[in-house]
Amino acid sequence: MRVLVLGTSSAAGKTTLCAMLCRHYMREGKDPVPFKASNLSLNSYATKDGGEIGMGQAFQAWSAGLEPVTDMNPVLLKPSGGGMMQAVVNGKPYMDYGKGKELDREAVMREALKAYGRLAENHGFIICEGSGSPAEINLMDRDLANTGLMERTDIPAIIVGDIERGGVFAAIYGTWRLIPDDLKPRIKGFVINRFRGDASILKDGLDRIEELTGMKCLGVLPYVYLRFPEEDSCSDSDGKLEGATVREAYLRNVDELTDTAEASGFDFGLLEEIARSRSSS
Amino acid sequence: MKIIGKKVNEEIERGYLGPNLECDYHPSHFTGQDCTFCYCPFYPCGDGDLGWELDGKRGRKVWNCSDCLFIHRPEVASHIMSEIKRMGITDYSDVRLRGVFEETKKNYWHMGKALMVVGATSDAGKSITVAALCRVLHRKGYLVAPFKSQNMSLNSKVTRGGAEIAMIQTLQAQAAGLTNPDAHMNPILLKPKGDDISQVIVCGKPFADYRVKEYYSEFVPGPGIEIVREHVDFMRKRYDFVIMEGAGSPAEINIYDKDIANMKAAEIADASVILVVNVEWGGAYAYALGTVELIPEKDRKRIKGIILNNVRGDPEKMRSGADKLSEMVGIPVIGIIPHVDVALPSEDSEALRGAKGKGEGKIRVGVVKFPRIANFTDIDPLVLDGIQVVYVESPKDLDGVSAVILPGTKNTVMDYRWMREKGIAGRLAELRGKLPILGICGGYQMMGAILDDSMGIEGGKKEVIDGLGFFGNRTVFAEYKKTVANRDAALLKGDGGNLTGYELHMGQTEVSEEPLFRIDSMFAPSWNEGSVREDEKLFGTYLHGCFDAQPFRRYFLSFLGDAAADMPMKSYGESLEESLDALADAFESSLDMGKLMEILEGKA
Repeated sequence: MRVLVLGTSSAAGKTTLCAMLCRHYMREGKDPVPFKASNLSLNSYATKDGGEIGMGQAFQAWSAGLEPVTDMNPVLLKPSGGGMMQAVVNGKPYMDYGKGKELDREAVMREALKAYGRLAENHGFIICEGSGSPAEINLMDRDLANTGLMERTDIPAIIVGDIERGGVFAAIYGTWRLIPDDLKPRIKGFVINRFRGDASILKDGLDRIEELTGMKCLGVLPYVYLRFPEEDSCSDSDGKLEGATVREAYLRNVDELTDTAEASGFDFGLLEEIARSRSSS
Repeated sequence: MKIIGKKVNEEIERGYLGPNLECDYHPSHFTGQDCTFCYCPFYPCGDGDLGWELDGKRGRKVWNCSDCLFIHRPEVASHIMSEIKRMGITDYSDVRLRGVFEETKKNYWHMGKALMVVGATSDAGKSITVAALCRVLHRKGYLVAPFKSQNMSLNSKVTRGGAEIAMIQTLQAQAAGLTNPDAHMNPILLKPKGDDISQVIVCGKPFADYRVKEYYSEFVPGPGIEIVREHVDFMRKRYDFVIMEGAGSPAEINIYDKDIANMKAAEIADASVILVVNVEWGGAYAYALGTVELIPEKDRKRIKGIILNNVRGDPEKMRSGADKLSEMVGIPVIGIIPHVDVALPSEDSEALRGAKGKGEGKIRVGVVKFPRIANFTDIDPLVLDGIQVVYVESPKDLDGVSAVILPGTKNTVMDYRWMREKGIAGRLAELRGKLPILGICGGYQMMGAILDDSMGIEGGKKEVIDGLGFFGNRTVFAEYKKTVANRDAALLKGDGGNLTGYELHMGQTEVSEEPLFRIDSMFAPSWNEGSVREDEKLFGTYLHGCFDAQPFRRYFLSFLGDAAADMPMKSYGESLEESLDALADAFESSLDMGKLMEILEGKA
């Protein structure tokens, strides 16, 4: 099984949703593993084998009951100031680029796909996280982790939107609309994240999005006041973080998050169905 | 009438005056106003576009035109005076004045145009865009005003007329050069009391409490729509342009038919609409396209322009995407606006989400971040002075601060309980006397000895609880009654000085301490306000906005030690003016102004 979680923006809740899915399917014995083809972040984690990956994937690995390894985030792009970027590939510095010097995206993508293949061989369920928004129409031809991954694999996808800042229906619908038509049939579901209050008020909106796009609503996840690793400067997760070690504290939070999601009626069965689907095209 | 007649005759004799910069009250209406006719030669004109009848004493009807700006428009005043001179009118009772009025109204009065700014999300930059457009148009010489039919915010302000409206509309009014923001600019204010319930304020006065569902099922289709219609009409009759602000996203399709803050209000005002998208979080094109396409066709036609806001880095990098977006939705992108680093107050507590503090100065002041924190813009002037504000959510956040402020809250009793449970109250007791502690409004109530909620008005539970006990004061929440007032105050301590603040609270406090301020009123003898124990560095007041003017800021900071003594004191008002100009400059240079004017005039 494999699924790609796309977000309507940075900080939409991709990282925590993937961590929650890792936790849930670990509890169910489905052998989940996190993956993010390419991560733009300065918050990195050193794996036991001495590689560098995004903090989010380390957190998701713990959530899945796994030790973080570089395959989980084969490409890490780190802004190094002055318009320059450092590309870390398979956990090791690969090249500095920017100011006219281009990253060889094809070479990097090939490495990412190899890592994806290795994880697929050894695990039951790859939970993939997208990067930023997949609908940046000025950058789409350079994409690695979103439509880039979809074009090079047959992975199905879902979209998560943050309702807290408002406009979530527009964000989900607009994101779906801007994804190239040939990939649209593989976007099969959406999730509303960080909702407060009585979810029945959303029904008409959810129905309309399902009707317009053919995607199914997997669930409305309640807001939780818990702190998670911050991937970039736009994430501002706020809240409780308690425990002897960071790892323990995050795991305690992901357990609470997963309990909440399970209690909210999130349709994990439908997600598995999506994750098993083979594209006809 | 006799007095008015005498004054008008004096005005006629004096002739054309222009703005009266000598007058203590200038500008009493707006920057650039004409003061030739401080008293109107046409009073009472009886024209419903300019005034209305109110019930006066002894059942008599009185013509009220206190918010009429027509006579203060420079072109109107000069035309009327030249007509009066040409016709040789010298007296107020001359019947020919009626003809002058009718001719002037016919030629110079028009119904203003409305433009609405909607946002793809909360925090899209709607408020800032409205403020910027108000300032841009004000600088071009138009009479312009902000309007937000329905605002949900705990940051409110009290107008001169004693009405409670959202703070951000008062700021936008300042951007428009208007002296007296009034409740017409924000006729409906929702103040959240919990996740699901809000106090609804109509035209500045408490109306009722509603649950979310009932608000949409009862208030909106009932009084709501009529309130919006009445006030937006009122505004259009008085201003060239009314710049309306939407609320949240206009494309919340689950409540679309019940939303009176966005496209419905635009329809009522016959407004053109501009959509603002914050690009900072990514996904801006999707948000823009999704918002436009989810709005039903009949309303979508009103959207005439898109602004991509808050771009960090080179705005030109977004150009190709913007062109593609324009092509897809058939609406031009009229501006790609860079991130503007200006110090303006933030609208709602959403902007505080995740924030650890504000400002970068060396001196740190801890501000307790109550779950129901209200009017937290009270502390903004400190940031201007180069102070770092640290939000306190646990006792350890108090480490290393030079002073502590307990700000306002929507619910004193519940937030006081929260502060005790968190251990912050205990830590404050240890810090008492060691560093300055100031309570404002709800925070001030907490500093007293007793919070008497035996009617269960604040906390729901009927109880009397001990406060922090820093003052001997006793606050009683005896009835569901709110004090809402704008105050002129004199500081009684330090070097003294005058300031204006406003009170906005439930509960009444019996004070047994030395007072901090004296309140002066035109209608009542002066009285004392606030509490102070200088030897223990304890301060408390009900006055929101107490830091806006320098006297109290300088006094409070003098207790922070030497480092604070040397700090430059800027005037908060001046610095706001600078920020508003900088903001308007950024918009003016990045916007297609020709296109904007076309949209404003309804020609796009």
